[in-house]
Amino acid sequence: MAAPFRPCDHCAKPAVVHNTVIVNGQMNEVHLCADHAGAAGIQMPGQAPIHQLLGQLAQVAVTRPRGPACPECGHTFHDFKTSGLLGCAACYEAFAATVGPVIERAHGGASEHIGNVPARADDANQRAALLQQLLRELETAVSAEQYERAAQLRDRIKDLRPTASARSDGAE
Amino acid sequence: MSDLTAMMVGDRDVVMSCRVRLARNVSGFPFVGRATHPQRREVLETVRAAAGPDEATVGLVGGGRVGASAAESLAWIDLAALPKRDRQLLWERHLISRQFAEGDSPRAVAVTPDERFSLMVNEEDHVRIQVLRTGNALREAFDAAVRVDATLGSRLDFAFHRKWGYLTACPTNVGCGIRIGVMVHLRALRVTNEIEKVKRAAKELHLAVRGFHGEGSEATGDWFQISNQRTLGVTEVGLLEEFAGRIVPAVVAYEREARRVLLERQRTLLEDRVFRGISLLRSARLLGLDEAMKQLSSVRLGVCLGLIPDVALDTLNRLTIQLQSAHLRSGEAGIETDDDERAARARVARAALGDPS
Repeated sequence: MAAPFRPCDHCAKPAVVHNTVIVNGQMNEVHLCADHAGAAGIQMPGQAPIHQLLGQLAQVAVTRPRGPACPECGHTFHDFKTSGLLGCAACYEAFAATVGPVIERAHGGASEHIGNVPARADDANQRAALLQQLLRELETAVSAEQYERAAQLRDRIKDLRPTASARSDGAE
Repeated sequence: MSDLTAMMVGDRDVVMSCRVRLARNVSGFPFVGRATHPQRREVLETVRAAAGPDEATVGLVGGGRVGASAAESLAWIDLAALPKRDRQLLWERHLISRQFAEGDSPRAVAVTPDERFSLMVNEEDHVRIQVLRTGNALREAFDAAVRVDATLGSRLDFAFHRKWGYLTACPTNVGCGIRIGVMVHLRALRVTNEIEKVKRAAKELHLAVRGFHGEGSEATGDWFQISNQRTLGVTEVGLLEEFAGRIVPAVVAYEREARRVLLERQRTLLEDRVFRGISLLRSARLLGLDEAMKQLSSVRLGVCLGLIPDVALDTLNRLTIQLQSAHLRSGEAGIETDDDERAARARVARAALGDPS
């Protein structure tokens, strides 16, 4: 069933942002169209450039401005917030809790890599783990009748399998 | 009519060029922004050694084609040692990014003689593989980029995470680390005021629409770069198919329809703009860059519609590069002032298009 139409608080366009604001114990509802939401500094999902995504995160992190540092390279969350860049591969683990949601938001909610795997980066175990993960995703896709995605996953699995078996053959 | 049909091969009437770019980092080194100069030099040497000296070793050509002349065909250019104007020249030719052109840290670009492949080392990421093709040849560009990636990936440990995929300095590039893009000429859609519709549709499909020089350049003229924004939760082949199979054909069809409507309903207005454009480019003595690009755009539309049969599309494509500032200044000695540059631009345009006087 379609959602009931509700106009923007400031114009006749349909509201796409619905917020509940509590000020001094008084609850108010705010309904804004995309334009007025933009004017109020609210980003639509998937449209926010990385710096603005980070800006929103920065407000959350304001109580601990320096944040933890990456044990590998010394990059801080503050460094990430100001440059939009991470310092090294280990930063992805060091800042997983804060950077993870930024990544997902920047990629339309996606949270798993399903593309190519480098020839040398992974040992057989890591490759096998990825294979397991893709097989789980395939199961989900098939049960949800997402056949296009299932076909993509099958291709990935097909690409992974011979290499994985070749590697384990070679190791024996 | 055969000329017009020929222009539609590879969608060259609308698609000027296409590009596939892959971002990679070498394991064991901090990302470029965090790396010290000695570390950046080490990355540079490591990648350079892995790439090898020629197109064959980097994976661009298959086996059996390595000749004596190919052995030196991959030119390595040390950006830190390059004069500013030459850096701008590389940027104007779309071989490097503006960010890469600036600064003095250790970095280099490897370019093939045909300029269809470039490998930037120490840009935002350690490695940026870029394949360019004229017209809509995305599948060919994709295959070449993937080949180079496979070759380099078999010699280097690329930073990779099971969940996030290829790790990049900016989290917006993680996953596949791939950007697939086309440079399209949407003159008719601009005239019919339908560009905003294209931009809105692109946004809904999570695509970026940028100007002639990509990131950081506004789409103010009639040339637009359309590329994917999502790189996580998608496969490389899935993105390619979406671009080559759905997005590009849709944009091309939309622009062609706008051209057809213009010809049918506003032929006089259209012809007026096209012939004013060609007259101006053939006779102006001082030509600013914005004006030149604007007139080139009108003329390009006229050529694609068969209104100016004596001008080749390739000539116009070349002029979009040759009329840029650094190209003019490196092509002629003694260009110092803006007026010198405008005069040189007018001379180059007249020489290429035929001066009636």
